[in-house]
Amino acid sequence: MKSPDAIVIGAGIVGASCALSLTNAGLNVLIIDRGSVSSGTTGAGEGNILVSDKEPGPELTLALRSRDLWFEMQEDVGDYFELEAKGGVVVARHDDSALLNLAYHQREHGVDARVVGQAELHNLEPYLHPEFHSGVFYPQDAQCQPMLAAAHLIRTVISRGGQFVSQAKVTEVLVKDSQVYGIQTSKGKFLAPVVVNATGTWAGEIARMAGSDLPIAPRRGFILVTEPAPQYIFHKVYDSDYVVNVASSDADLQTSTVVEGTRSGTILIGASRERVGFDGSKNIEILRKLAAQATSLFPVLRDVQLLRAYHGFRPYAPDHLPVVGEDAQVKGLWHSAGHEGAGIGLAPGSAALITDEILGRPSFMDASAFSPARFAMAKV
Amino acid sequence: MIIVVGAGPAGLAAAKSAASKGCHVTVIDSQARGGGQYWRHQTEVYGYKSNRSADYLNELQQNKLITHITGAQVWSAEKLGDGYQLNYLQGGVEKKISAQKIILTTGAYDRTLPFPGWTTSGVMTPGGAQSLLKGHGVVAGKTIVVSGTGPFLLPVATALATNGARVEIIEAQSPLRWALSPLALLLNPGKFPELIHYASAILRLKIKVSFGSAVTGYNDGEVDISKVRSNLSIRKKNVRSAPADVVATGWGFLPDVTLGGILGCAQTLDRDETVIFAVDREQRANVQNIWIAGEATGIGGADLALVEGAIAGLSAAGSKISVALIWKRFTKRLFARALQRSYPVGAGWQEWLADETVICRCEEVSCQEIIESVQELGAEDARTSKLFTRAGMGLCQGRVCSRNVSDIVAGTTKCAVSRNERLAASNRPIAAPISLGVLGDGIAG
Repeated sequence: MKSPDAIVIGAGIVGASCALSLTNAGLNVLIIDRGSVSSGTTGAGEGNILVSDKEPGPELTLALRSRDLWFEMQEDVGDYFELEAKGGVVVARHDDSALLNLAYHQREHGVDARVVGQAELHNLEPYLHPEFHSGVFYPQDAQCQPMLAAAHLIRTVISRGGQFVSQAKVTEVLVKDSQVYGIQTSKGKFLAPVVVNATGTWAGEIARMAGSDLPIAPRRGFILVTEPAPQYIFHKVYDSDYVVNVASSDADLQTSTVVEGTRSGTILIGASRERVGFDGSKNIEILRKLAAQATSLFPVLRDVQLLRAYHGFRPYAPDHLPVVGEDAQVKGLWHSAGHEGAGIGLAPGSAALITDEILGRPSFMDASAFSPARFAMAKV
Repeated sequence: MIIVVGAGPAGLAAAKSAASKGCHVTVIDSQARGGGQYWRHQTEVYGYKSNRSADYLNELQQNKLITHITGAQVWSAEKLGDGYQLNYLQGGVEKKISAQKIILTTGAYDRTLPFPGWTTSGVMTPGGAQSLLKGHGVVAGKTIVVSGTGPFLLPVATALATNGARVEIIEAQSPLRWALSPLALLLNPGKFPELIHYASAILRLKIKVSFGSAVTGYNDGEVDISKVRSNLSIRKKNVRSAPADVVATGWGFLPDVTLGGILGCAQTLDRDETVIFAVDREQRANVQNIWIAGEATGIGGADLALVEGAIAGLSAAGSKISVALIWKRFTKRLFARALQRSYPVGAGWQEWLADETVICRCEEVSCQEIIESVQELGAEDARTSKLFTRAGMGLCQGRVCSRNVSDIVAGTTKCAVSRNERLAASNRPIAAPISLGVLGDGIAG
């Protein structure tokens, strides 16, 4: 096996995007995963590519660029992963001032956010509960099938000379004089001067193997899936509470519902968040809350049958910003992790940042807010 | 109080034995009447010796200590204090019931293998044909081919023939395989009269029987019959065809392990790699105050289910289990093992498939799509293949196809299906569909 220029650990959407971006920049890339393609959080996601839920700041800048990069990736790789700019509609249940204020500031930062009144709102979503009288329409919000996306990105990487080794658990990150030079795995040793840690909720573990640290914790998110139903929902529709929730670090369960239809006719209801460890247990009360919120948005869903529910673990950092950049202590070790519930949307933008930094070329934004070094500084 | 989930042989035996020790028992079941899949409708008796169900059903109706909740679909369960709460749907309304002790006897359903034409009308499971007959008095067709493997084909075929259908049995395995299990036969002499009963019925009803053969295609009212090896791979393709307006095809049974899984009961793999629950000497699961009996602890038929149910009922009532009962279970389990050995379902059936043969019928996913998810997209297990193809994501939630998808993925990667993959495939957080309205209305407070 030819020695690669860079090793990407993690075959989820974040790792796959990094691998493709590095490959397109001329590097020979090896992707390693302890399971197979999309076997972690990517495989339990809805495929949200949202700008609507981001407050103005570095994350919004990343989200806007990343959203465009998704469509560029589709041109590069092919139309294989159901990418669709279906648009988002955010509705306010009671007081809409926070939502309208957010939309105002988002617009100033380049987000297409259109305030819609009662008539237009119900024109966009005819089955929405009549009590909703205003909302904001975000045409840029998009959707993809993340598992297929990761698989096709990796397939493209391989076709361009890269390699993918699955079922290889990293047991050691090889570091000498504070410079990474490879990894030891259950399938052997692989050497490269650049190692990208794209392992999502497990990113802290990889950082510790290198003698560094990364405060990434898992947060559980549930998704309900219904039987196929007629098309009742035309966009990603959510309650404005979701925006408040995403920025919260309250460990108690909070739910606010994102509802959307899929091509196969099933309806996805998601976005409950609670901070728990890697506990796979179900909680019926969460399912009930999600169902109650979804049916209060769309009463027509009352008669639709729930078929299954699943949960994934969203990786997040204490300040709820992704961690993208070179490790503060180990040279050559790069992190792209901690994207929380937004990993699908932010993956290609993060990949572009990492690639630009590795190659030492100017990037589309100042990425210092995402630097892993921010935690080291906080500790001092 | 003790809750027994399921009113089949194991559940009825559990209720009877627990009530005999003075315990209050509530039996909760999805059907309108007791008896389970096996003893459907006691008034019409077809299978050999099935009149013994009368004993248990009388107990269910007349014992004052036993309450029977019918038409109840348990959709979820949760821990509540030092006991458990079951959430169930009855007539479109959600209800809850709780108790300190639970006995799960959730039974099994027919195992299906795909072949070209298996999704066309006219193809059903033997269980389906039997419930049409017993439940609705409908003979599924005029000319019926009963195919697959296992002793359950016999009562179905003879019942259909008794009611006027022209029936042919296509059994994949050779009866000589019973020679592999002499001890099991020796310790279960009661099985010989049963065999004679069916053999004479087959002769009397002029049912044609072929061994070492399988239906490997169905088209335009004709089945294609191939000679198969014991692992179900094709020895000689399409040796003959036969007319059939109905094909009842079944390959043994798969235990329904959903509810116990939700309650966190440890699962394991049986010898034939079906997912079952691990239980101790007294049928206790590894979770406190939960007992499991019958098919969910290993497919073994009604005889074994009755013994296991009795043991579970006594243990839940706090009574001692007699050595005689343990010995009886041992001999029945030995027989169950002999059944597995005599009627194995190998992975050779994949040779029957055409590229376009549907594997997941809920989502209409073809064999070719599953193979491509492995070869083109890098799927290495059924879960990843499912994420790529949607196989197993439909109404039945993979109950019919997930095991077949695993086998096709493994057949493509040339790797054996891992234990974890088998176990994970049976992990379903919801035991039955529930409408979002009813679900949301049940919110606490």
